[in-house]
Amino acid sequence: MSIGGQMEEPKLGGTETEDPQKLAEFQARIDSGDLIERDDWMPEAYRTGMLRMAEHHANSEIVGALPEGEWITRAPSLRRKLALIAKVQDEVGHGLMLYRVAEDLGKPRDQMLRDLIEGRTKYHNVFNYPVPTWADVAMIAWLVDGAAILNQKTLADGSYAPYVRTMRRINAEEAFHFKHGEDMVLTLMSGTGRQKQMAQEAFDRWWWPVLMFFGPPDKESRHNAPHLKWRIKTASNDTLRQKFVNRFVPAALDLGFRIPDPNLRREDRTGNWLTSPPDWDEFFRVIRGNGPCNAKRLALRRLSYEQGQWVRRAVTGQLGLSAA
Amino acid sequence: MSKIRENLPGPADGQPLPAEPLTRVYEVFLQPTRNEPHVQVGSVNAADDQMALDFARETFGRRQACAHIWVVRRDHLVGTVYGEDFMERACDRGYREARGYQEVRRKWEQFRRKGDVDEYQKDDLKEAF
Repeated sequence: MSIGGQMEEPKLGGTETEDPQKLAEFQARIDSGDLIERDDWMPEAYRTGMLRMAEHHANSEIVGALPEGEWITRAPSLRRKLALIAKVQDEVGHGLMLYRVAEDLGKPRDQMLRDLIEGRTKYHNVFNYPVPTWADVAMIAWLVDGAAILNQKTLADGSYAPYVRTMRRINAEEAFHFKHGEDMVLTLMSGTGRQKQMAQEAFDRWWWPVLMFFGPPDKESRHNAPHLKWRIKTASNDTLRQKFVNRFVPAALDLGFRIPDPNLRREDRTGNWLTSPPDWDEFFRVIRGNGPCNAKRLALRRLSYEQGQWVRRAVTGQLGLSAA
Repeated sequence: MSKIRENLPGPADGQPLPAEPLTRVYEVFLQPTRNEPHVQVGSVNAADDQMALDFARETFGRRQACAHIWVVRRDHLVGTVYGEDFMERACDRGYREARGYQEVRRKWEQFRRKGDVDEYQKDDLKEAF
């Protein structure tokens, strides 16, 4: 899974305290396509910007596995169960790799795990929504993974080498997540009336959260400029959203889905599909903790962390002792 | 839904989270098949060498061919520093590379037909580095 654009995108700090000469040299490196390694000089704002991005991404991978985990015991066939288990394993592995990238940028790993549980850091808003049917599992793997891969391809073109290398590995592993999602959706839409109805209802639940996955409109993302200038991101939110819509609207219509947007239309001049504006108030409401599943997601993370403590202590030889 | 997931404690229930024990960072070098060299694929957090091998296999060997793994504590690695003089070269090194002998082709053509030189050269090794 990917972070997409971050709502309430953390502002990159200022660069007023940086040596202007070093800043200019750094910018020249970025502009020439040089990749920045962990020990290279970087502006403090670049370091913290990349750190927050990697941390948010890692959080999203771990939390993203939780709603899918609910369905492992209820998959409709052995093949689906195997694929779902494999997908969840991949996502946890991605989280581990991304926490490594973030930790190397200066934040202790344990602090990141706690900050997530205690609500100080965030993850992708899509995972604050419930997954009530198997068709929701299919929609997540088709639409949400589809959106994530689209975004992650642009992130693999970024400037920070450890994150870029991780993106390449994640993208290769995610390819089957998307194919699996397509396979589930195609199976449902080739099925019975009940299956098609279940799929349509799930589509209705996920369409708008997925459009908002890419973050707020560019004109409201004043903080985007440093991210793009330093190639922390390499594509704007609206560009990615439009690309997603152009790919998935025709596909969904051909499958027989009704898209829950009365104003959806195709602009002949550009070929772009134009949608209604998403409900950003709802987005803000949910990401600030008032969504249907925020509390449940974090409670499960807390349970896992607390219940795993004796294992961590045992293997590091600290049985019965509290760590300093 | 399992009972665990139905009865999750909220943040208000718990005491402050106790600290997690510290781990070290290990770099991971993975050999996809026995005929290939090891490649650095990333790093893991682990408490000791065996745990590092286990985590390396799960994180990096889960989804790709994996014949062999080395893990090394990052603080045990010795390396160069980008930009330092250590890597500087005194001159262009064409004299020790095939690309520094471009005129050889032309010189052959003083003696031999173009087609014969093509045939003669066709198995020449290309530079790998």
